[in-house]
Amino acid sequence: MAEKWIYWLRELGTEHNNIVGKKCANLGELTKAGFHVPPGFALGVGAYERFMKETEASDRLLAYLKTFKADAHNVEDTMKFEAAGTEMRKIVESIKMPPDMEETIRDYYAQLCKETGKKDVFVATRSAGPASHPGQYETYLNVSGPDEVVRNVQRVWSSTFNTRSIIARARLDLPLHHDPIGVAVLTMVDAKAAGVMFTVNPVNGDESKVALEASFGFGEAVVSGNVTPDRYLVDKVTYEIDEKVISDKGAEFVYNPATREMEYKELPPDRRKLPCLEDREVIELTKIAKKVEAHFGCPQDIEYSISRSLEFPESIFLVQARPESVWGKKKKESVLGKKTGWQLLFEKATTPIKLKTD
Amino acid sequence: MTNKSVGRFPDPHDFKVPKELEGWEDMYPPQRLFSQDRAEWEKRHFWFQDKIHAPEPLYPLDDIFQEAWQIALSQYTTRVFCIPPAQGIAQRIVGCYMYITPVEPPPPEVIGKKAELFGKRVPYVFQNYNKLWEHWYDRFQELGKEMEALKIPSEFDEFVPEHEVMPIPKGYTQAQDLIESFNTIISLIFKAWQFHFQYLNLAYLAYLMFVDTARKLFPGIKESTIGKMVAGADVSMFRPEEELCRLSRLAMSQSPVSKVLKKDVSAAEKIKELQGSEPGRMWLEEMERIKNPWFYVSCGSGWYHYEGSWVTKMDVPFSYLKSYVERLEKGEKIERSLTSISEERDRIVAEYRALIKSDDDRKSFDDAFNVVRSIYRYAEDHLFWVEHWLHTIWFRRIRDFGNLLAKYNVLKQPDDIYLFNRFEVPMLLEDLATSWALGVGAPTRGKYWQEKAAKREKILEAARNWHAVPALGVPPTEVSEPFTVMLWGITTETVSEWLKGADVKGAGELNELKGFASSAGIAEGPARVLKLLEDIVKIQPGEILVAPCTNPSWAPVFTKIKGAVTDIGGLTSHAAIVSREYGLPAVTGTGVATSTIKTGDIVRLDGSTGIVTIVKRAK
Repeated sequence: MAEKWIYWLRELGTEHNNIVGKKCANLGELTKAGFHVPPGFALGVGAYERFMKETEASDRLLAYLKTFKADAHNVEDTMKFEAAGTEMRKIVESIKMPPDMEETIRDYYAQLCKETGKKDVFVATRSAGPASHPGQYETYLNVSGPDEVVRNVQRVWSSTFNTRSIIARARLDLPLHHDPIGVAVLTMVDAKAAGVMFTVNPVNGDESKVALEASFGFGEAVVSGNVTPDRYLVDKVTYEIDEKVISDKGAEFVYNPATREMEYKELPPDRRKLPCLEDREVIELTKIAKKVEAHFGCPQDIEYSISRSLEFPESIFLVQARPESVWGKKKKESVLGKKTGWQLLFEKATTPIKLKTD
Repeated sequence: MTNKSVGRFPDPHDFKVPKELEGWEDMYPPQRLFSQDRAEWEKRHFWFQDKIHAPEPLYPLDDIFQEAWQIALSQYTTRVFCIPPAQGIAQRIVGCYMYITPVEPPPPEVIGKKAELFGKRVPYVFQNYNKLWEHWYDRFQELGKEMEALKIPSEFDEFVPEHEVMPIPKGYTQAQDLIESFNTIISLIFKAWQFHFQYLNLAYLAYLMFVDTARKLFPGIKESTIGKMVAGADVSMFRPEEELCRLSRLAMSQSPVSKVLKKDVSAAEKIKELQGSEPGRMWLEEMERIKNPWFYVSCGSGWYHYEGSWVTKMDVPFSYLKSYVERLEKGEKIERSLTSISEERDRIVAEYRALIKSDDDRKSFDDAFNVVRSIYRYAEDHLFWVEHWLHTIWFRRIRDFGNLLAKYNVLKQPDDIYLFNRFEVPMLLEDLATSWALGVGAPTRGKYWQEKAAKREKILEAARNWHAVPALGVPPTEVSEPFTVMLWGITTETVSEWLKGADVKGAGELNELKGFASSAGIAEGPARVLKLLEDIVKIQPGEILVAPCTNPSWAPVFTKIKGAVTDIGGLTSHAAIVSREYGLPAVTGTGVATSTIKTGDIVRLDGSTGIVTIVKRAK
């Protein structure tokens, strides 16, 4: 029997990191643990490898690369890489997928439509690598219909040949024609608002807080930094909202049915400075964040979406969870210096409090 | 402001009070006033108005508590437990308001000596607190009983009764009783205040230590959360209210009683009616049984004679009983749930503790928490016994002297005794005793005393209408005196906030106040500014309470209001504790709320940030 290359999220866990990539493995882990994650399936790196091997893709890429010469450390050669990238992506996207693979993807998608009760359910096709390459590969949102799903899976694969990826590989002396990644096919959440949250205050490492950012529309607005999001700081223990900064959010990232593309749409003046989350959503998100952190055992960086069509709290979805990269890695050293209560009291009694009076 | 200022607040030596207050200095002993002979020392200090203990102009005899705490609080820091760099708190009176300052640190060699004593004496208290508290309690009860038992004549006998002459002569008369009782009551109130501070300085110090510890572990932890962690639920301060709840339930089981309690008549009439029926008598008997001590609770702060206590103003507890009975009839729960308060506290402590990453830190945290928990309840328990129970006795006994003086026309009315300071009252008493001793027809100086009283009453009235400056002198660069930080909340922020408030005279211009974020949440609504508890009847459901400070007898108000703002008080002040328990937002220690906000203004308070905004001024 051929090696399994496609999985439902619920079949996955962190142990599948190397097979389907971290993102899908984590989403699977979250799904299994009972968190609310948009249903979907994952193509493992094996799918990429099969496609490359079983079609003429690898041969054609290698043939093309024979004539390609450029120095990745030389900025002037960037244009050469860009041309090569465009050409290689064209090659990959023009090749037809092995029929049994295509059939399988169509089957999974049909099943997903059935499960969600929607015809041609909107999905996002996202790259998912075993190693983290944030922002390196492409993600395609609002993909609908089996043909489009198949086409966009292939587009995600081909995004391993976008300019920044091949330059990155060239600099590391890695083969340019081959960089297996997984693809996540997730149902889209019709997001009225979305954002990220950290289970630690990123400003000072205070692990008793959850820091949230949110903006109208889809989460890409916050992740990309294109919109100044609303910010919240919530106490993990008391669930009090300690800080609440409502920003002028300018635009929202939404789907334009006419162009069938995602786009930034300017917000009307009366909506720009409205909070995009309700307080109860903020508190619920905090509770969820705490549980995610407890499940993975270290501070988390979590992406969430809030559906406009579902009722609270079913409206809240997690679309990503990964270890927080700054404070999570810091070694926890004693801040109190092994002092006893009595020593702390003595210290307090002998230390005057400074007042600024200039 | 025309006064020349040193630093940013006026120099107390150049400061002039309004001329309507002329003659105010005469009311207080000279050591309590700013003076040229001490100017050099006084100028080095920062004097801020003590709105906790003296939010109102001080009647000369009410000033006795202040005198007493100046000694008691200070000595425990400087001479008893010896908090190394801290000294006492000095007081001065300006225009009938009291200003206080933490005294500058002692020389380094003294700090060293104190550190040694601190290390020896303080651990003993923490290790033995429960035993020490029992001892404290017993002695305090005795003191109260002694004050109750003082012999103060209600009138002078025409002739000394036979049994005092023979067979065993008493040897002295009512004249001596009168003079002696006053001397004794002065001595007792001073002693009570010595006891008051026996463990308070250390309780506050422990609290501040725990705040620091928690902040090091969790930089963003709210002081309101820390307050929840350390506060005790079953403290004496809450007992009066609990007794009211119990009496209300008892009344519910006897429908004739609850019917009477719900009536819109005075407490006196209700009591009379209750006496007419068997269930009523039984209920009254139960009330009488617990009245001492649990109705010995001031209707105000306990610091002013005119505030009264529940026992002297029975309309107050009876109005609470009425609303409790009505709520019980609607099926509402009236009691605070002690279990859920302690469970919530345990949950918060456990969850924060679980967030601590290193084993060493968790150990230090536990240790620090145990230190503060071992003693902290003192901060809550002493308050009932001293400011409420004992002060209630004191006011009643002082009124006995006042009654006698008024009876013989030395004074116009009994409460005029408060217009004379504790050094002067013996003069009045001696005057009266002399006149009695001299025989028939010997005059007192009643006219002189009465004129003095009238003049002083006018001065105090003028002082009430004066918006006293929040501070005088030079703000300090550092503070190590625990009360200054904890009780009066003196921080960089409060000082600068006062400076802001000092610039705008009175209400009208300042639209945002900053205080302690004492109980989380946001509330908006019409303000009700309450200076005296008697005005409590005016409070409407959904209003935001604005008061100088609150105390246990105000507790039932918290079931009506949407939020609370006070002038004075930190995170463990009464308003803060009760608000947290009722889940109401509160901002305490704003310094200027009662002078800036007017009843009817729409205010918005954010108990998480400590900001109070006046959204709309009342017309």
